[in-house]
Amino acid sequence: MSADNDSDELEALFDSLTAAAPPLAAAAVSTAAPVAESLSAAAVVAAAVAAGTEGSFPSQDAVFDRLGKMARQLHNTLHELGYDKMLEKTMTSLPDARDRLAYVANLTEQAACRVLNATDVAQPAMTALETEAKTLRERWDRVFANQMTTAEFKKLAEDTRAYLSAGLPGHAEIVNAQLLEIMMAQDFQDLTGQVIKKIVELAQKLENNLVSALLEVVPQNKRSEEVTTLLNGPVINAEGRTDVVVNQQQVDDLLGSLGF
Amino acid sequence: MADPKMRILVVDDFSTMRRIVRNLLKELGFTNVDEAEDGAIALQKLQAETFEFVVTDWNMPNMDGLTLLQTIRATPALQHLPVLMVTAEAKKENIIAAAQAGASGYIVKPFTSATLSEKLNKIFEKMAAK
Repeated sequence: MSADNDSDELEALFDSLTAAAPPLAAAAVSTAAPVAESLSAAAVVAAAVAAGTEGSFPSQDAVFDRLGKMARQLHNTLHELGYDKMLEKTMTSLPDARDRLAYVANLTEQAACRVLNATDVAQPAMTALETEAKTLRERWDRVFANQMTTAEFKKLAEDTRAYLSAGLPGHAEIVNAQLLEIMMAQDFQDLTGQVIKKIVELAQKLENNLVSALLEVVPQNKRSEEVTTLLNGPVINAEGRTDVVVNQQQVDDLLGSLGF
Repeated sequence: MADPKMRILVVDDFSTMRRIVRNLLKELGFTNVDEAEDGAIALQKLQAETFEFVVTDWNMPNMDGLTLLQTIRATPALQHLPVLMVTAEAKKENIIAAAQAGASGYIVKPFTSATLSEKLNKIFEKMAAK
């Protein structure tokens, strides 16, 4: 599909939304050939919502009207500034970024599983070594306490020799193999590092484009409003922020100060 | 002090994190551990079986950890169940919201085995004192 086509259909879409007349909006959407899928889907939803709520909530019409005007304004500004082409280009690289991120998620999960599997194998080997060594030491303690018969001592010498020649090296071999496996499981870092670098570059471009576009259309009094939600995930950069904690001590201090 | 046979439910949507918490609990002597991958599944398990302790993440699909905590505190049969939150959410308002909802402890990820041990012991002490 050509960019010109897009623009025409988008114009029709925005006009229909601005008109705030549900039947017209629906008509405009249905005649529109497949535009960017998300856009037409959004329009259908908007039209449906407008149609469904009309009458019961007449005041919402004003909101849709306003949204339509804002969209129109954004569209015009983007077009005038030439951002629309830039955004279009950025948008096409997003599915690619999504695939790359899925790849990162996949590799890191695999690595985590490999490491956990390795520790699952290594831990019992180490525990066996520890237990065996402890038993031998207890028996040797009895030798030094002069509590052992010659026959027992002979058996202990044999057991100790067996431990040193078979048990110890055998278990050490298992553990070393798993340590190597843990080391090799880190090979994702190189691959994900490269992919993440590409996505960071893309995000930066996208951000620059969007921010400069948004700055043109967002009124001054609507800027710098903080999004407040309780689901933010890990804090990536805590520098200069006072609304987050950076370690467990601060969690404990905060809870303590509140009497919990 | 705490009963090593205590039944613990570990709730996290990432299987690796569930495994890590399960391994750490094992190191601390708790081997009777079951897992749930979100709050909704956890709630089903809590209602169907008997658990003595819950370790939960916050951000999960279907039902998040805070909602799980609130539901536990609002359910008479479960309201005294200790709930330890282990989460990457590090905003002060998150910690306050969790405390107000009745969380027994709050650990921010990434965390150490020592932190988990310390928080568990603190909760056990409080339980014993009651």
